[in-house]
Amino acid sequence: MLTADLARSRTRDGEVRPLFIDISDERYRSTAATLIDLFEDHLGEPKGELEAAIDDLTVDNTDYKIVQGLAKLLKDECEFEQQATADPREIRQRLFERANDHYPIVRQPTLGEDTQKLEVYSAVADELGISLKECYRGMYADLDDNKLLVRFGDQTVEDYDAAETTSTTKLTGNSKQAYDQTAQTVDWLLARYNLALAQAVLYDASKMQIRVWDHFGTVFSYMKLFGLMHRIYPIDGDGNRVGSTDLAAGYGADLDGPASLFRKSQKYGIRMANFLPALPLCDRWEMRAEILDEETVSGSNRLTLDHTDGLVSHYSTGQQFDSDLERTLARKWERANTEWTLTREDDVFDLGAEVMIPDFAIEHPDGRRAIIEIVGFWTPEYLQSKLAKIRQVDADNFVLAVSERLDCADEDFGNASERVLWFKSGIHVYDVVELAEEYASNTESERS
Amino acid sequence: MRLEFDDGTLLLENAPETVLYAEWDDRVDAYRAQAYRYRALLEWVGQWAENNGQTTLQDGFSHDVTDAARAYPDLALTPALQIEPRDYQQAALEAWRTHDRQGTVILPTGSGKTFLGLQAIADAGVSALIVTPTIDLMNQWHATLTNAFGDQLTEKVGVLGGGSHEITALTVTTYDSAYRYIDEYGDRFGLLITDETHHLAAETYLQIPEMTIAPYRLGLTATYERADGREELLEDRMGPVVYEEAVDDLAGEFLSEYETIQMSVELTSEERTEYDDEYQRYREYVDNHDFDLWKEQGYAEFLKRTSYDPQGRRALIAKQRAERIARTATKKLDTLDNLLKRHHDDRVIVFTANNDFAYDISREFILPCITHQTDTDERTEILERFRSGEYSMLATSQVLDEGIDVPAANVGIILSGSASKRQYAQRLGRILRPTDDRQPARLYEIITTDTMETYVSQRRRDGVSSSADS
Repeated sequence: MLTADLARSRTRDGEVRPLFIDISDERYRSTAATLIDLFEDHLGEPKGELEAAIDDLTVDNTDYKIVQGLAKLLKDECEFEQQATADPREIRQRLFERANDHYPIVRQPTLGEDTQKLEVYSAVADELGISLKECYRGMYADLDDNKLLVRFGDQTVEDYDAAETTSTTKLTGNSKQAYDQTAQTVDWLLARYNLALAQAVLYDASKMQIRVWDHFGTVFSYMKLFGLMHRIYPIDGDGNRVGSTDLAAGYGADLDGPASLFRKSQKYGIRMANFLPALPLCDRWEMRAEILDEETVSGSNRLTLDHTDGLVSHYSTGQQFDSDLERTLARKWERANTEWTLTREDDVFDLGAEVMIPDFAIEHPDGRRAIIEIVGFWTPEYLQSKLAKIRQVDADNFVLAVSERLDCADEDFGNASERVLWFKSGIHVYDVVELAEEYASNTESERS
Repeated sequence: MRLEFDDGTLLLENAPETVLYAEWDDRVDAYRAQAYRYRALLEWVGQWAENNGQTTLQDGFSHDVTDAARAYPDLALTPALQIEPRDYQQAALEAWRTHDRQGTVILPTGSGKTFLGLQAIADAGVSALIVTPTIDLMNQWHATLTNAFGDQLTEKVGVLGGGSHEITALTVTTYDSAYRYIDEYGDRFGLLITDETHHLAAETYLQIPEMTIAPYRLGLTATYERADGREELLEDRMGPVVYEEAVDDLAGEFLSEYETIQMSVELTSEERTEYDDEYQRYREYVDNHDFDLWKEQGYAEFLKRTSYDPQGRRALIAKQRAERIARTATKKLDTLDNLLKRHHDDRVIVFTANNDFAYDISREFILPCITHQTDTDERTEILERFRSGEYSMLATSQVLDEGIDVPAANVGIILSGSASKRQYAQRLGRILRPTDDRQPARLYEIITTDTMETYVSQRRRDGVSSSADS
């Protein structure tokens, strides 16, 4: 992410707008391409030299904030490593100790007793069993500027050296091709930059409200990951609150942190900034945040963003199935002959501090609907926390498929105990359909 | 009722409806209170044990309380150096103790606030977090704490900030780092010390005392009053002012006498060409746009223009490059070479204005070196060795102000410095003491002729003499 000094935004009438750049603008594309080349060229070189080269790009460029911002995002993809054969602090401590007995250490000796630095360096090098050069270089090898760039994105020094020596690889383009899948490209960098500009505004956010109409599971798991607290409510297609999750087209949530109960605090702004990239994973989303600003009369401004802003996420949707059981059931369902359909992660149960997102919803064309949670092979601790959650769910159309191998019984499921399907090794589609027939609620009739 | 530290707050499970200081949190279906209410809550339920373990029952009832919040250990320490506290320090400590170890002490600069802090740590007997406004001050506290308690601690003094992230029973940090991490560590300390505590009243920093449960709190400052009148908020979070010592009551500080010797060097012809090029470019731009650089506003206008005019941006860079050439002129090293020869038996501190130059000198003359990049740990060690005489020379790009941790030297060499009056005066006054009667302490200033440095040096000395006049 960007440091606060690299943030770029404009505030007008209480609205903060990040100064997004046009990703198709040739000017920025060429800057981005130059920077990426620069980083690749500096693989194996000291960080200080890379920084100096970046600074050179901004000598007569008033877009230096953009250049430095893009460079910061590239640096986030880098690994710098200390290169020393002995511990630098040990080397210099020995040097200083020895030097202290031999001052003055001079450049041009005038007296017989004057010492030259070389004598001190070689004596310490011998003590440590390293070469003179290693001793001299190693003395401050732990300084940031002296660390070497060993990895940039997927590229490592080894790749780079290999490409240098075996020029054939480079010419045939095999290695290059491999990079393009995941490597730092111009499009990747510029998209990342716009997202980072929006994140930087959120550093001072005290509160965030979101609305999402898909990918609920993903969004809520990122909320939890970044330690945000929430109040959730179901909404319809227009964003208005509705009475029950069965009627929900989407979900709204107010996000802040524990201490927000007592005061407005931008303490959680950094968490909101971290969470932001989860939103563009949705096809349709809206976000508005209160941004504290002591310099305005009201004390705050507003940032609003939605799916039309063209932000692109680099987070994973994590859409893979949690377990083999779920994957197998989904596959069996496709082959099965039933009007009921199985869809993933559709409902969100608000349990206060946490949410529970059941594995699947089972829906009938006539509007009947049930939700199902699969309780497979879990560790006892995980099972206990899961059971505690399940007992809190208050919905009549919530059914469970539970493995007989687990150390639990009907009564562990509280109100839902009658709606449990016990299975031995695999779950049968028709058993689930039977359960759905019995407990599904008719959402159509509720709506009318 | 069960108290639990939750992300910078206290979660109160099974709390009665009459519970004080708490709000109902419908997100978790429990009462929640700000962390700094920890002690007040324990007092309310009659579970606060002070000193001899006696609890005081209030309101004549006691709830069954489980304290799952406290994660801070007891810590029995005695300052290693048995300096007799001065009368006012003793009085300040007593006042703080009688105010339940919660409150702020106002003492003038240079009167041993840190020393009072050490006494408070020993007195409270619990783990402590010390919060300071700058990394420099954090480093000084680290050095002082290490000297005073290092041998008695099982772990080192912890550092949170400046690139370090170690939390131990005695930890130093900055306001910025504390603000960022306090929700994680607010249960780990029984005593919170805030240095220069008047800064704490800022909206963000105020969350540091709010998010810690520390039942003991000590604020230290020389200037308590704020223009915005937010001291009241401070009092609620840190306790009232318990002691104040006016400036006049203390003897004026001893500033040693020293003689200043100015030496100048030329740029090499290569450096001169580059310098003139860059300086010319800067000068031309400024002249063409009629900025009055002698006035603050003129310079501000220039800076503003550099943000949208590429030529202006280039001119700014030109100025910076010219300055750097003058500052790090190669011939300065020759002069330094001579001075180090002359003073090899003395205690010498070499000042530079930038890190790179300090490291160059450290490599060239094998001098121990302290910059902003030096780990707090290593910095403390180098200064300790300089103090003990194990090292007799030191290069630094840092302002080693506030007397406490800067061991005396009798020779100072300024290779390049900033024009700021305050910095300069402090650098001089605090570190130079004559080692014997025959020879006064000396300060050398090496400047590059015919560059901006000549002007800066002049301004600097004007600044010193004018402040001495006042």
